[in-house]
Amino acid sequence: MSESFEPNIVAFLCNWCSYAGADLAGTSRVQYPANINVIRVMCSGRVNPLFVMNALQQGADGVLVSGCHPGDCHYMEGNFYARRRLGMLKDLMEFVGIDPRRFHMSWVSASEGHKWKEVVQKTVDDAREAGPFQGFRRRQIDW
Amino acid sequence: MDLEKLRKTAAEIVSRDDVKYLIGWRPGSFGYRVSPCFVQDAAGAEELIFSPLCASNLATYLTLVEKLPVPRGEEPDRRKVALLVKGCDSRAVVQLLVEKGIEREQVILVGLPCRGVVDLNLLQQKYPEGLEKGELSWQEGGFQLIRNGETATIPREEILAEKCRLCRYPNPVLSDVTIGDPVEPWETEADRGVEELEQKSVEERWDYWEEQFSKCIRCYSCRNACPLCYCDDCILDRLNPIWINRAVNFSENTAFHLARAFHLGGRCAECGECERACPMNIPLGKLNRKLAKEVREKYGYEAGVDPEAKPFLASYNPNDPEEFIL
Repeated sequence: MSESFEPNIVAFLCNWCSYAGADLAGTSRVQYPANINVIRVMCSGRVNPLFVMNALQQGADGVLVSGCHPGDCHYMEGNFYARRRLGMLKDLMEFVGIDPRRFHMSWVSASEGHKWKEVVQKTVDDAREAGPFQGFRRRQIDW
Repeated sequence: MDLEKLRKTAAEIVSRDDVKYLIGWRPGSFGYRVSPCFVQDAAGAEELIFSPLCASNLATYLTLVEKLPVPRGEEPDRRKVALLVKGCDSRAVVQLLVEKGIEREQVILVGLPCRGVVDLNLLQQKYPEGLEKGELSWQEGGFQLIRNGETATIPREEILAEKCRLCRYPNPVLSDVTIGDPVEPWETEADRGVEELEQKSVEERWDYWEEQFSKCIRCYSCRNACPLCYCDDCILDRLNPIWINRAVNFSENTAFHLARAFHLGGRCAECGECERACPMNIPLGKLNRKLAKEVREKYGYEAGVDPEAKPFLASYNPNDPEEFIL
């Protein structure tokens, strides 16, 4: 099972840095795992902790949130807010017993195609180690 | 506790023209019960009490009050609301002020230094509750229970509420009038509930919370009792988008409890109302206290202490810890 298990990762990327960074990784032909489902948001500060929770409920095995480096935010301070908010979410998730390897946050700028590859590799490896997430997946009921 | 002075002050306050009512406690109809009361006039102030049974946080009623639309041509009622506050209640009020949930001019705070309230469940286990009324008061080293003409002394440790064992602010943080002498803050115990869980492994913690969250019947008492859960447009009531389905199952319960705890992160005044209101005895306080502890230790922020502070999640420090970031 664990041999063939491919984790399902939801990644929230900020439009200005990380999305462009991932784009650069693509145009530079940097190979990285294909387990990532990218959702583009305008800023990492847009990521509501409920997004993360909903992703885990709806079948994600891991969540990645990536934004600009501190000080580089297109909206000046969005990633500072995101850092506080999601840092707290990570503490909370760890406290209720959700594997901390399932949630990652990173700063990837538009020029860091190679860093993006490493971040994805780490996220996917961690989620693969942690195994399929059954925790609190939403039960689909067919009426 | 100087009840005479409390009642006299309350009567004076409610007699003022610019005061709508005063929210306080009065004896309930049976047993150890205490009910909140809205004092409209000086006569009503005579039944006010303050005892170790007054555990409920009255700050909830500041935001719970229904705001009806004002008829055309009429002025909105801008009279003040007076409130009796213990230490933890005053922190909730301060946090409301920080968030601009209420305005300072709207409230008059009557501060009551508090020596710790009791956990009703623990009291009932020791002295089962009957229909006859019981009175509890503070005394040196414990509580004095008067019931059926009998007097009993109960050691403080036996029935003190958990939030009070951990209380660091027994005196009101903010008040206009203070009744009684300030209380010397007591030595707080280590937060055993949270520490024990922290030492467990991730899987053991999950098992623990799985059991707890599965009990939840989603009555939302915790939300309604909380003085700081006052959004007009709560995510739980929203139909589009539905963040948390209404189905009562483990998945949705977990999402609900995580969201609830998260929404109180950096805001919780640790008054323990959510836990007290919970009919299924879910230890919600542990979640809140854990987040409050993280916020205190990592960010050096404490909710509900300084009315001039900025809300925790609506401010930032460029040097916030970021060791969790890849």
